[in-house]
Amino acid sequence: MSTRLDTPSEAPSDAGLETFAYDDAIVRKFVVATVFWGAVGMLAGLLAALQLASHHFNLELPYITFGRLRPIHTNAVIFAFVGNAIFAGSYYATQRLLKTRLYSDTLSKIHFWGWQLIIVGAAVTFALGITVSKEYAELEWPLDVAVAVVWIIYAINFFGMLKTRREKHLYVAIWFFMASIIAVALLHVVNSLAVPVSLFKSYPVFAGVQDALVQWWYGHNAVAFFLTTPFLGLMYYYLPKAAERPVYSYRLSIIHFWSLIFIYMWAGPHHLLYTALPEWAQALGTAFSIMLIAPSWGGMINGLLTLRGAWDKLRTDPVLKFMVAAVTFYGMATFEGPMLSLKSVNSLSHYTNWTVAHVHAGALGWNGFLTFGMLYWLVPRLWRRKGQKPALHSVKLANAHFWLGLVGIGCYVLSMWAAGIAEGLMWKEFDADGRLVYGTWSDTLPTLFPMYVIRAVGGVLYITGLFMMVYNLVKTAQGAEKTDQIAQAAPLAAETAESEHKSHWHRLLEGRPLRFTIYTTIAVAIGGALEIIPSLLIESNVPTIASVKPYTPLELEGRDIYIAEGCYNCHSQMVRPFRAETERYGEYSKAGEFIYDRPFQFGSRRIGPDLHRVGGKYPDMWHYNHMLDPRSTSKGSVMPAYPWLFEDALDLSLTATKLRAFQIFNAPYTDDDVRDAEKNARAQAAQIAEGLTKQVATMPDIRDKQIVALIAYLQRLGTDIKAAEGSAAR
Amino acid sequence: MSRVDDEILDHDYDGIREYDNPLPRWWLALFWFGIVFGVVYVPYYLFGPGPLAAEEYAEEMAAAAAAMPEKKAPSETDLLAAQKDESRIARGKETFLKLCVACHVADGGGLVGPNLTDDHWIHGGAMADVVQVITEGVPEKGMISWKTQLSPDEIVDVSAFVKSLRGTTPANPKAPEGEKSSGP
Repeated sequence: MSTRLDTPSEAPSDAGLETFAYDDAIVRKFVVATVFWGAVGMLAGLLAALQLASHHFNLELPYITFGRLRPIHTNAVIFAFVGNAIFAGSYYATQRLLKTRLYSDTLSKIHFWGWQLIIVGAAVTFALGITVSKEYAELEWPLDVAVAVVWIIYAINFFGMLKTRREKHLYVAIWFFMASIIAVALLHVVNSLAVPVSLFKSYPVFAGVQDALVQWWYGHNAVAFFLTTPFLGLMYYYLPKAAERPVYSYRLSIIHFWSLIFIYMWAGPHHLLYTALPEWAQALGTAFSIMLIAPSWGGMINGLLTLRGAWDKLRTDPVLKFMVAAVTFYGMATFEGPMLSLKSVNSLSHYTNWTVAHVHAGALGWNGFLTFGMLYWLVPRLWRRKGQKPALHSVKLANAHFWLGLVGIGCYVLSMWAAGIAEGLMWKEFDADGRLVYGTWSDTLPTLFPMYVIRAVGGVLYITGLFMMVYNLVKTAQGAEKTDQIAQAAPLAAETAESEHKSHWHRLLEGRPLRFTIYTTIAVAIGGALEIIPSLLIESNVPTIASVKPYTPLELEGRDIYIAEGCYNCHSQMVRPFRAETERYGEYSKAGEFIYDRPFQFGSRRIGPDLHRVGGKYPDMWHYNHMLDPRSTSKGSVMPAYPWLFEDALDLSLTATKLRAFQIFNAPYTDDDVRDAEKNARAQAAQIAEGLTKQVATMPDIRDKQIVALIAYLQRLGTDIKAAEGSAAR
Repeated sequence: MSRVDDEILDHDYDGIREYDNPLPRWWLALFWFGIVFGVVYVPYYLFGPGPLAAEEYAEEMAAAAAAMPEKKAPSETDLLAAQKDESRIARGKETFLKLCVACHVADGGGLVGPNLTDDHWIHGGAMADVVQVITEGVPEKGMISWKTQLSPDEIVDVSAFVKSLRGTTPANPKAPEGEKSSGP
């Protein structure tokens, strides 16, 4: 076994040991990036939270309206904060678990700077409204390509270490890192498949219900393979390290690893219960979600029981406090998730703040706290003081951070649970005459307001804790040395047939990285393949509706504005088959209505009402007034105003190209339609504008403004099915 | 505090050791429960008696229709009485100011929707016509149906208020639309 020493000069040169240095410089970089982007992402989240309490926080600035800010927040905390934490944590741990330096210093640097550039690119493009609107996959295609390239570099750098390793067997943490790298690559590539029409605009190759299925296969498993499995890898290294206790059960590791990565990939459809998704896929989503409880809890108990014999340390050690709380939150969230996947619970919880509470218990509790615990443990080891044991600047301050953060999560999760359940019940409440008690959407808002305030307070507490950590870590690092740790280990010995024979089959597998990788790939690929491929190939999954026609050129442009403004962040386009929804919105949504929707716009949250049947519900003038000042038509609305849509010119330069792209897919546009796209768009715009000026002579002419396209789109929404009522599905 | 059944393996990864403790029994039970649940659940809905979403919806709608109190349309005399009932007009005004002003303006002069103060009516000016328009809406003209948001009584209140606007002088009256009508 290896010995670690502080300086190479002390290293004994005998016994066939090789001396080498770990690349800790790159880990330090990733640590700094983690903390920096954590602060940015969480502050963006706080601003978004305030915007829901009061629309004034939108500042009438296009760049930070809620619809554009929310993707900035989610992407910053997921891919920037958690992403950098994964890279820091996995690079530090894997080098030591495999007794080898990172595969390539150059690749490490490209990985680091490439990822940070992508993050900056993401923030800028989202602020400008450049987005594909698929949640947690909003990046447009050039940045998608960049993500794929950097991810492959991470993979090469990581799997390269398996080749140069000096430790024969792979520890469970490595399994989880490997599965994460493979699965994320698969998810990202499939979900990002798109046809570009310009540098900043593309259309997904999947449409409507199929796009939704692919997206939520991705979305669910981004949670699985970006927020969960890499963090289980981190837990398996840093928790036993900090507790200085052996891991509770090796066989539990094996069983919960394989079952978790296999089952997770099937559960995506639980994001689409009661939607137009084929019912067989929905049923699989629920079934596999319930199956997920045990594999998830396997990770939790292996973490918690590792602390047997070290519980007393919990009183004093902030690192263990954070980790134990994180694992507990993991256990809570992975129980709540399957419960939310039950149809009866989901019919109430879906589209509400309950989901928001659920994901934040996971994000703030599991990801946040595990990252904080890891950073408190790592920083004193990455920035070492000569002749001193690694120690934090202030343990007391770190403990204070823990309690503040815990109260913050409590405020957040409890208020959003209450808000979610209240919303769900209000949306469904009928009076004795059979009318919706909250038939006017804004009547539900006063109930939610205090909850939004408590949520924001929770956010402030959590972020205050974060800044206490920043101070503490900076103080810890100040004046310390930044060196690469030196280690020694013997190179891998040639395999002996005899020793192989005695081993358990899984133990053998742990010594064969290539085979391990192949099995892992198969395990993660099955679920998605068996759900997605049939839904693409079997026609009966999306019954055709003859009256559903593609969008007009102007409507298509309006739809792209809807996407750019991030309307889907607050408005669903999926009426579920419940009396409370059909009374409020109209006929429930059918799969065949979405075949020209690229990307789909089902949404996942109703901060405002569903819009799938909004077409024809209000006159054009209503939309005009509503977009200019939402409060003029809907008293008490929290929607931001969109004055720039009335000033910015409608750009039709790409319209013909866009139609051609749709022609490649499935839209029956003729070549004439493509050629005349701009002309037809202008004609429809003029018609709408004239209709408005005819009603009110003082109206400004909006025929060449963006708003006219948005109105055209909104008025089209969900109307095709009405054109052929009765003779609809065939 | 380690238990006697803890068996330490010869694994050592950067100082991390591993026990090979048996799987907790309750955990194994949960694991098998999940699998059995899945095996039963999917066929129950796809091939068995489990209701599909559309069937559930049909049932829900039928149950609601059965439970609904029989609707009796307000009689001619009720409508006439409502028009003279100041308290009903006041209640109607309250609703009007909350929900109708966006299109008809607070003084009824009209903006998106027609002027409600003149003698011209697009869909008939009798009290019963106004009630009908508010209840069912005129979707093609942008007037939405209010029957899911307002009770029949509330609709009569609003109609009474609308009728009371006749002959008032709004600030920016919209030009008359529809037929001249002088009915009650």
